[in-house]
Amino acid sequence: MASSPRRLSPPEVEARLRARFGQDVLAFEDQHGHAVATVSTGVYRDVCRFLRDEPELGFDYCDFTGAVDWGDEGGFEVLTHLFSTTHHHNARVKVKLPHEDPVCPTVSDLFPTSDWHERETMEMFGIRFEGHPQPVKLLLSEPFEGHPLRKDFPLMTREAKPWPGAAEGEEEEEE
Amino acid sequence: MGLITENTPLPKLQPVKFILNWGRRYSLWVMNFGLACCAIEFIAASTSKNDFIRLGVIPFAHGPRQADLLVVAGTLTDKMAPALKRVYDQIPDPKYVISFGSCSNCGGPYWDSYSVTKGVDQILPVDVYVPGCPPRPEALLHGIIRLQEKIKDEDIQEKFSGKLTAPAVSS
Repeated sequence: MASSPRRLSPPEVEARLRARFGQDVLAFEDQHGHAVATVSTGVYRDVCRFLRDEPELGFDYCDFTGAVDWGDEGGFEVLTHLFSTTHHHNARVKVKLPHEDPVCPTVSDLFPTSDWHERETMEMFGIRFEGHPQPVKLLLSEPFEGHPLRKDFPLMTREAKPWPGAAEGEEEEEE
Repeated sequence: MGLITENTPLPKLQPVKFILNWGRRYSLWVMNFGLACCAIEFIAASTSKNDFIRLGVIPFAHGPRQADLLVVAGTLTDKMAPALKRVYDQIPDPKYVISFGSCSNCGGPYWDSYSVTKGVDQILPVDVYVPGCPPRPEALLHGIIRLQEKIKDEDIQEKFSGKLTAPAVSS
């Protein structure tokens, strides 16, 4: 049964998450009206299920799953963007992972749309999604070695011929 | 004169060469291997304003087996490369390839990418390169004319022997 939309503001989402998960909500942000919660890896699946099944939250659609490489110190950050087709509000759930042997629980059984996104994240960052039903490459060809979206992935063409323009970040400094 | 074979003396072939090459260069059934935005420019070149059909390029080959000319228009990735090679192999000889746009020439803006093939000439012989990102339809027309000039001067024996001639470069 479709109910009428009732958008929750990020603080309201935060209050519900903190009431349910307490200390496991490591950080919370309001990014342009989207609720962004960083949670511990152990409760990642529970948070996603809670966001999906709680009628007031009703995040029934997974928009994408991706990752960010923050380098050796920062590790990886897996993020899942959720949207509620009932209430029209957005939320992102983030998980911090170590740079060495990153393993993240899958949410592909909760949100079928995240299946391919997790496979892409798997091949691009080398993050293992525990419990994924089909952990094989999605976009890259089978013999491809390495994880191209990692910051330490070498671009062989650039090894042979350096980037002709200004290095990243230099342009802003000049101004 | 009978059947033309590799052993037919060359002087006897000159009038046949002219007529055969004249026929071949004005009936190029083209296979569009469209991979990116360049394919749109190819389509624009086939429509009424630029209309490469008036040059004898026929854009409705039913498949690679009916085609004479392969136009690779767009970004070829390493994963797509086997499919392109397969399409090329299905085209019967004599066949010609136009590499259309910077990506298919050399990788173009994706010169340092992990997934893009840096030039289709790595996997198949290219007759004419059309530079640009994307090239205008007029550039394709020019490339087709350069290809027709090449076909005009082609030696039948050499072409049918499977020996590949040096590529011409379009400007």
